[in-house]
Amino acid sequence: MNGFSTATLLILTVVAPLVGAVVAWGMASRGPHAVRQSALVTALVTLGLVAILVLRGLADPALRSGGAFAVSTVPWFTDGPFDVRLSLGLDGLSLWMFALSSLLTVTAVLVSWNSVREHVAAFYALLLLLEAAMLGVFAARDVILFYVCFEFTLVPLFFLIGIWGHEERRRAAVTFFLYTLAGSVLSFVGLLAIVVWNASHTGQLTFDIAALTAGVRAHPLPMDGTGGWLQWLVFLALLAGFAIKVPIIPFHTWLPLAHVEAPTGGSVDLAGVLLKLGIYGFLRFSLPMLPEASAVAAPWLFALGAVGIVYGALVALVQTDLKRLVAYSSVSHMGYIVMGLFALEPTAVEGANLQLVNHGLSAAGLFALVGMIYERFHTRSIPNLGGLAARAPWLTTMFVLFTFASIGLPGLNGFAGEFLILAGSFQRAWQGVAAEWRPAYLLLAAGAVAGLVLGAWYMLWAVERVFFGTERRAADSHGHAATGAMHAAHADHGGRSHDGVFAAPAADLEWHEWGAIAPLAVFALWIGLFPGAFLGPASAAVRGVTAAAEERFAERMHLDAPAPPHAAGPHPRAAEPIAMSDPRTAPPAPTAGQR
Amino acid sequence: MTPATSPTTFALLTPEIILVIAALAVFLGGAFAGLRAGWLVALGGIVAALFVATVAAPADGVSGPLTIDGFSGFVRWLVLLLGALVALVQAGDGFRRAVLREAQPYQSTAEEAGVFLLLVAGLSLAAVANDLVLLFTGLELVSIPTAILLGLKRTDAAGQEAGLKYFFLSLVASSLFLYGVVCLYGIGGSTEMATIGARLRSAEPGTVVIGAALVPLAAGLILAGAAFRLAAFPLHFYAPDVYQGTSPGNAALLSTLPKVAGVIVLLRLAGLAIGPVAGAPVGYAATATLDLLWPAAAVLAAVSMTIGNVMALGQTNLRRLLACSSIAHAGYLLVGIAATAALGSSAATGGAAPGGAISGGGATLFYLATYAVATIGVFAALTYLGHRWPVWSATVPRPPREEASTIADLDGLSATNPIVAFAIAVCLLSLAGIPPLPGFWGKLSLVTSALEVDAGGWSPRRLAFVALAVTLVINAAIAAAYYLRIIAAIYFRSTDRGVQSDGGVGAGVGMIACLVLVGLFTIHPQGLFRAARRAGGAVLGARSTAGAPTLSSPVSAVATVAVDAAAAPEPRLP
Repeated sequence: MNGFSTATLLILTVVAPLVGAVVAWGMASRGPHAVRQSALVTALVTLGLVAILVLRGLADPALRSGGAFAVSTVPWFTDGPFDVRLSLGLDGLSLWMFALSSLLTVTAVLVSWNSVREHVAAFYALLLLLEAAMLGVFAARDVILFYVCFEFTLVPLFFLIGIWGHEERRRAAVTFFLYTLAGSVLSFVGLLAIVVWNASHTGQLTFDIAALTAGVRAHPLPMDGTGGWLQWLVFLALLAGFAIKVPIIPFHTWLPLAHVEAPTGGSVDLAGVLLKLGIYGFLRFSLPMLPEASAVAAPWLFALGAVGIVYGALVALVQTDLKRLVAYSSVSHMGYIVMGLFALEPTAVEGANLQLVNHGLSAAGLFALVGMIYERFHTRSIPNLGGLAARAPWLTTMFVLFTFASIGLPGLNGFAGEFLILAGSFQRAWQGVAAEWRPAYLLLAAGAVAGLVLGAWYMLWAVERVFFGTERRAADSHGHAATGAMHAAHADHGGRSHDGVFAAPAADLEWHEWGAIAPLAVFALWIGLFPGAFLGPASAAVRGVTAAAEERFAERMHLDAPAPPHAAGPHPRAAEPIAMSDPRTAPPAPTAGQR
Repeated sequence: MTPATSPTTFALLTPEIILVIAALAVFLGGAFAGLRAGWLVALGGIVAALFVATVAAPADGVSGPLTIDGFSGFVRWLVLLLGALVALVQAGDGFRRAVLREAQPYQSTAEEAGVFLLLVAGLSLAAVANDLVLLFTGLELVSIPTAILLGLKRTDAAGQEAGLKYFFLSLVASSLFLYGVVCLYGIGGSTEMATIGARLRSAEPGTVVIGAALVPLAAGLILAGAAFRLAAFPLHFYAPDVYQGTSPGNAALLSTLPKVAGVIVLLRLAGLAIGPVAGAPVGYAATATLDLLWPAAAVLAAVSMTIGNVMALGQTNLRRLLACSSIAHAGYLLVGIAATAALGSSAATGGAAPGGAISGGGATLFYLATYAVATIGVFAALTYLGHRWPVWSATVPRPPREEASTIADLDGLSATNPIVAFAIAVCLLSLAGIPPLPGFWGKLSLVTSALEVDAGGWSPRRLAFVALAVTLVINAAIAAAYYLRIIAAIYFRSTDRGVQSDGGVGAGVGMIACLVLVGLFTIHPQGLFRAARRAGGAVLGARSTAGAPTLSSPVSAVATVAVDAAAAPEPRLP
């Protein structure tokens, strides 16, 4: 593999799914099996390329110091000062999510192996298109390239939900698209406002994220009336898009509908990667570029995160649809990440960044398993299921494993992330806030702990009802004795299991289902046992993007931290290496002349 | 003083002369030789003119009533390209009428093709006009043939209503514009634009009085006249009825070519006031023009896009829906015009933005091109679809075919006509501004230009433009709602009707051509973007210098891609 530079390798990785999508589309005439195989090959090749990239990245000292590797740039939409570039690169912030995107695409391809039977070529082409967009988001070093990929993820998912989804698919597809679009167009204006603000100081309309971060550190967006509260406006604009994407609590209403109605492969990508784009946006743009506004907003978003944890858990508790329950558990678990992020405490932020991957693994695993249950029993209704453990022991084992990962059992990945988030949050609550804020912070952190208990409750209760206990009659795909529920379940599936056209799936996991689930389980264990191996490479980059906001927060809280006098000039923190800046494009530190 | 007309002037008019000769050939051939293939001749004429305009791009300069610069070169190229696309669609219209001989008496389409050629020639003339009289003549040569085409295409009551409505309103709009032109003449004492511009910008005390009296009238009336062509508020209300009443081919024409005329007029007006030298002292009249133009255009932009999109939300008829959508797109274009005027006036007062007024002008032209190609693509697809066979059984007499005109008529199109379905979906997503389609690049450049106004500081004007940018993107999200409704019908619903496509090969070719162009601008927006920015720079003062290559058309710009990529500079240090 010495023939390719790392940068070339990254370009190939992002382009590979696009090529694969065309190939899968072209295979349409050779029958669905050829399409599936070609999609799987593409997904595996991409995963292999990603693995090489990750290994090379881990060996690259730039990564550990918070810089980027595999950097490449090509002019794209450029004239005079206007300079949009196709600029790719990976750093500690994006590395694991980039890898997760390619891993989950393999899962999505494999879980759809038998469940997608119509327009197979189009389905896999769209799935691979979605993968390219997801990889592009995390590899983008240019604001517009980021936004293009961010927004383009909607298009394949729109069709995936609308064509291959369940009963309410049309409404779900349109709602999902419009809701997230409405938010992200505001983010778009916010990002452009940052670009133009930077341009008014440098004369160059650069869209390079590293240059912009450096630029707004040197010339922070104004936070007072004379500057029109620009930083606030921009922060709110970014928040609109990212909060809907995450989703933060009052903006979550699109999520259950979209997750439940999406086909399993779509749900896997949606829950595993696309929800994380919002958090990634906060980390990449809001915190480093708008630290003052982030510091002011942090307590409120911290609170919304905590409320989301409890609210999501309580709603999940009363669900009777298993997929809907998992969807609400996502709302709850994304609450932890939001809370950890806006605790603005190093431990919590690193935990939140790790939890992005953790939740991606466990939510994707759970959605995949729910899909497998639905494929076998044509119902997702918890009361109609029961006693599956006897029929499908391996499926049960895997579900229980991912349940434990999700509720944060020590030794599995969820524990590592949530422990760090909670530890950091309590740290912040005890020592990191002004006295008058302390009770509120403690209450919220305690609420998050209560959320852990609730999380264990609704997940284990669901496991108990679905997998253990007496075997329900409806849990029977061969149509021996049909209860009323059975009729209902089959009616919405067009009675397809009876007509003998499709072979009923085996009782327990098949090879492709093992292929979809096993890697996720391996990583869940791996991260659970050795979280340091995953935290380490990301640490410097995460510290780099959040340091400024943490400083501002500490100043706001009037802490006695040995912070140098603010009036003396730009903060020394600004001179530290910032995320995504590699030595070649790193600007001279703004305070260099003053020191 | 108007420069002398010379033989060179006629040489510069070669594309228009080709168009007029083709028009005459079609008229005579249709009347005396029974020519049926009028649209083919028209298409040939336009393509020949496009070829001449692209290959023999003349050097910049002024000759007689003409001005040849980056702007006129680009707009002329755009007009001819759009003309060729619309001619393809119109050819489909004519073919369909031939097929439906039992429904309507067949008429020769030769006159239609000839009239259309004159329309294209008029628009092309307006692009190169350096004289108000020629500009007005060119614009009349657009509006009269448009009214004729509207009347010829449909003989039913709705079609006649559409034709009459457009005709009378276009007369009103033309007279408004003419009054505005007269006021400009009053200010400048000449019909030549450079003279008027110099007078507008001169700092002589006399211009203050003249400016105070005449500038609001001139700018206001010209804006009103342009608003009609753009289908922007307050002269937008004809659009839904006219689009619905006429054929899809005519709707393709109406939603694009008159908009080009409106943009030509407004950018020329802004260019007169901004002048060739950035930062030069500016007279009261020019400042007053810009300070009237930007708030007026901003208000019209905000109202147009909101009205258009909100009206479109409830529509079920496709042409009516797209008419409302075209009102909204007129609003987006006016954002670029408003930004041009505001950036121009701040350049005049010294607070130059990074891109200057070029940002606004270039964005407007770029958006116009991306919008027009996608819109023509949708109408071409609708023309190509033609009529749907209703559901019927063998036991009852076959009911008449119905024109595919409502959203429900497109149900399940992805199964019956996958390529048409794909073309409509791509064009609509582009209109909605979904990246990475061209519409997104257009909106990116528009929003950036709006945000550039007073970017470094804070002022009420900046607030207005930030609000305008936010209005634009929120409208883009609203618009996505009805575009998605169409796409959802095409892809998520099913139908029991069979394949349909009786609209003719021409429309099919036009649809594919639009799809290819959309794809080209998606993969490589840069060629068009650069050409549009050069054009914006040319009309707004930044005369191209001798050293810089003049890209008179995006075609040649595309050809330079490889060169650009090869000569890509190293990552620039911020």
